[in-house]
Amino acid sequence: MTKKKVSNSMFLFVCKRCVGLIALLIALSTLVFFFTRSLPGDVAALYIGGNAKPEQIERARIELGLDKPLFVQYKKYMGKLLQADIGVSMRTHRPVFKDLIEKALMSFELVVWALFIATFFGVFLGVIAAYLKGSLLDEAIKWFTSAAVSIPIFFLALLLQLFFFNYLRWFPLQGRMDSFLEFSNPIQHITGFSMIDTLISGNLKAFFNVAWHMVLPVTALFVAPLGTIARLTRSSLLDVMEQDYIAAARASGISERVLFFYYGLRNALSPVLTVIGLSVAFILLSTFYVEMIFNWPGIGYYSLVAITSLDYTALMGVVLMIGTVFVIANTMMDILRRIIDPRIK
Amino acid sequence: MNHIVLNKELKIAPARQPVLQVRNLTVGFNMARGQAKILEGVSFDLFQKEILALVGETGSGKSVTVKSILNLIPERSRETRGQVWFDAKDLLSMPDKKLQTIRGKQISMVFQNPKSSINPIFTLGEQIFRLIRLYLSPDIDALKLKMHCSRNQAVETIAKEKLNEVGLTDIQRMLKLYSGEVSGGMAQRYRIALSLLSSPEILIADEATSALDVTVQAHILKLMKDLCENKQTAILFITHDLSIAAQICDRVAVMYAGRIVEIAKTKTIFKKPLHPYTIGLLNAVPMLGKNKPLSFIPGMIPDLVNPPLGCRFHDRCDHAMDICRKQKPESLTLEDNHEVSCFLYK
Amino acid sequence: MIIPKDSLYIMAKEVAREHRKVKWFQLHRLLKRKMAVLSFLILVLTLLAAVFAPWIAPYPGQGQGEVNIEHRLQPPSVAYVLGTDIYGRDILSRVMFGARISLLGGVVIVFFAALIGIPIGLWAGYNEGISGIVISRVVELFLSVPSTLIAMGISILVGAGWQTAIIALIFPWWPWYTRLVQGEVLSIKQTLYVEAAQMLGYGRLYIIFRHLLPNIMTPVMVMILLDLGPAIIAIGLLSFIGLGTQPPTADWGLMVWEGAPNILSEWWISIVPGCVMFMVVIAFNIFGDTLKDILDSNG
Repeated sequence: MTKKKVSNSMFLFVCKRCVGLIALLIALSTLVFFFTRSLPGDVAALYIGGNAKPEQIERARIELGLDKPLFVQYKKYMGKLLQADIGVSMRTHRPVFKDLIEKALMSFELVVWALFIATFFGVFLGVIAAYLKGSLLDEAIKWFTSAAVSIPIFFLALLLQLFFFNYLRWFPLQGRMDSFLEFSNPIQHITGFSMIDTLISGNLKAFFNVAWHMVLPVTALFVAPLGTIARLTRSSLLDVMEQDYIAAARASGISERVLFFYYGLRNALSPVLTVIGLSVAFILLSTFYVEMIFNWPGIGYYSLVAITSLDYTALMGVVLMIGTVFVIANTMMDILRRIIDPRIK
Repeated sequence: MNHIVLNKELKIAPARQPVLQVRNLTVGFNMARGQAKILEGVSFDLFQKEILALVGETGSGKSVTVKSILNLIPERSRETRGQVWFDAKDLLSMPDKKLQTIRGKQISMVFQNPKSSINPIFTLGEQIFRLIRLYLSPDIDALKLKMHCSRNQAVETIAKEKLNEVGLTDIQRMLKLYSGEVSGGMAQRYRIALSLLSSPEILIADEATSALDVTVQAHILKLMKDLCENKQTAILFITHDLSIAAQICDRVAVMYAGRIVEIAKTKTIFKKPLHPYTIGLLNAVPMLGKNKPLSFIPGMIPDLVNPPLGCRFHDRCDHAMDICRKQKPESLTLEDNHEVSCFLYK
Repeated sequence: MIIPKDSLYIMAKEVAREHRKVKWFQLHRLLKRKMAVLSFLILVLTLLAAVFAPWIAPYPGQGQGEVNIEHRLQPPSVAYVLGTDIYGRDILSRVMFGARISLLGGVVIVFFAALIGIPIGLWAGYNEGISGIVISRVVELFLSVPSTLIAMGISILVGAGWQTAIIALIFPWWPWYTRLVQGEVLSIKQTLYVEAAQMLGYGRLYIIFRHLLPNIMTPVMVMILLDLGPAIIAIGLLSFIGLGTQPPTADWGLMVWEGAPNILSEWWISIVPGCVMFMVVIAFNIFGDTLKDILDSNG
């Protein structure tokens, strides 16, 4: 009986959130549209490249639809978007969408691992620090998280390279896989996730090699979010344990352990989920830097090249993709939070 | 405990058995600038089926007293000495695991803020079910057999019955609500129901009505008094408001700056208060109709890190004598079990 | 009264024990404070270096971009305390000049973000009407796009440079303050409602500035202090990919990028500015945290 009411309001909540999501995406695409139309430089000229003659540039302009009024361009743009057509890259002249998906999958391996590690260990450390509040371990964790949060990502990545490759020779310098292995044991493209693909096709050599290459970049990515999540978990937990309802539960004979790990955690989880959602965006943007430094052929790398070459269609695609992932991640977190804490409207 | 031998005293004796005995409870909090001696030598008895009021202003230590009984204050930086006798055992020296079996079941507590005492992310139903499963296992099983129903149904039946006892209506709807969706009065009835689930020997009410409207207050007070009479539960009622104490309590214990200064039957306290502090308190209550100017006790409670050596009230006392500064007054028992700690009485 | 020796000894031990107990707590506090003091020193040092760079830097010209090819890629030595970069410029001097942009930029970003965000938040929190809702939606929109992305976009549009980067960063920064302040005002409003009712007759602005503002100042101050670190990092992030400070101006993020290709051999070119950035940000964080602890226990 209790369940029905919950799922009804749950359903409404999810609906409201989805509508909001779509609205945001529309707003986002519109913003991106206007952004790309305001870029400096002559886009058509860039498209043709090099020593183009005026007629060629004109032809390119017509081809790209840049001669039509803004409103018409916008309609065409939105229409194409719905068909997942973001146009063609200015630089490579290949459809942006296809490129994006390929590169995105490469990056997402790093992002997903980093997110898992940051969340799992972040919450873990935060819980320990709160449980052992005031102890030496707690202080150590506080120091560590302060440092983790303060280190600029590009510096950390370089430091890791220097230390673990140059001095310790533990991990490789860059790339996704040793080049010679690319020839001898190429990865079959099934899902696009190299770790899954190598496992499925039994290509164990490649599997371990890729995993080995992933360690440093993933480490660079998870450090800062781990720190933030740990700090927030700790402070949220400590906050909750001071609340009246915990004291009342204690007086009802509930054991300290249950109080802390069940009631405490569950009541404290809400802000942590918000931060996890934000961390997704943070990690995504960090890949720009990490991929550049570690030469990982993913979306970050692609974006940076797009920025420097003013490849506006590619840029559009990147921004749309990141924005979409961000909005979806936050919506999912909102829903999760609602499951845990029914107070949220 | 006393062994009563004479036959004719056997009838009265059980009613006067103390169900809780606090002896010399002394609590200090370690702070940065020293140790605050919050409680010093607090001693009193709580008898079966009686309602004892613990009265005092903010900072008198009344909350700390009851929280110490059940060891509810976080361990760190706290030092506790003394004994609290319950069921022939000293609660203060009991390991926490054993205390957990007593909390909520034999000694339970109701707090000042009913709505914030309820966990906001679970429904009221979920929370009472959980407690019923924790305390009343045999009752659940018995009910299952009798009604041929599932465990959950049995639990729910018991919950509805208990919530009915505290005067709640529309229980079916209430079980699905959250703490933010009920009124203060309803929430406090709910909390009282929770605390009386296992018919405890003692109910501690820590300013249980202070956050409620006056009309609701009266209802809750009556509710507590009736329920406890029915279940033979003793109540230890903490309040800063003497008039509330007057309404339902049998005896009153007055606390000041961590010490008990006077204990007596309610009528006696109001008619013949002995301790200067009690007298001051009673005078401070404004009374309708009388053209008395508002009176108050000048001064503030002493600094608990460096409390005065003698009687803690002496610097605000009109009748302070030389000895009050130097020595702590012992507790004297005068006629009719009227206890007072003051050098005025010898 | 004659006190037997034993009793005296026991009394003395008890006093000592009490004393030790108290000292243990104070020690904990002192340690924390020590780190705060250290952080403060680091910050002051950096500030001084930044302000007086043209006078106290060993090679002020190089700090601003003068090239010194003969001495390129030199490891730390007596002449060049922190080594030289790929153009032979003294890294210590460049770090000092870089501090100017980073510190100034950080302060400007946070200051203006707060300046814009707080009043909007106060207004939105106080008026729960339409303006409040509109502002909430706008804030949500801003926060739903990653902030660095917005700044990057603006930099691309307007053309990169350190001034652009700093101003561009203010745009995604202010909504955080609005959200914080709005939230605080809403929760305080619950408690101050009674007072507000009694203040009928006082203008809205009066209530906002005289009563709401002081109450929210604590978390806002803490947020401002803790925000300076991320602001400095954000400037560095933009410069690293070329959308911020342009060469030859000295900037920590830019310096790390310039030294990245040579990281394995001439590591100091990247590591030194990176380290400095790290230390300054940590100093801000520790200082802000300590301040928060102090304010929490008092407030």
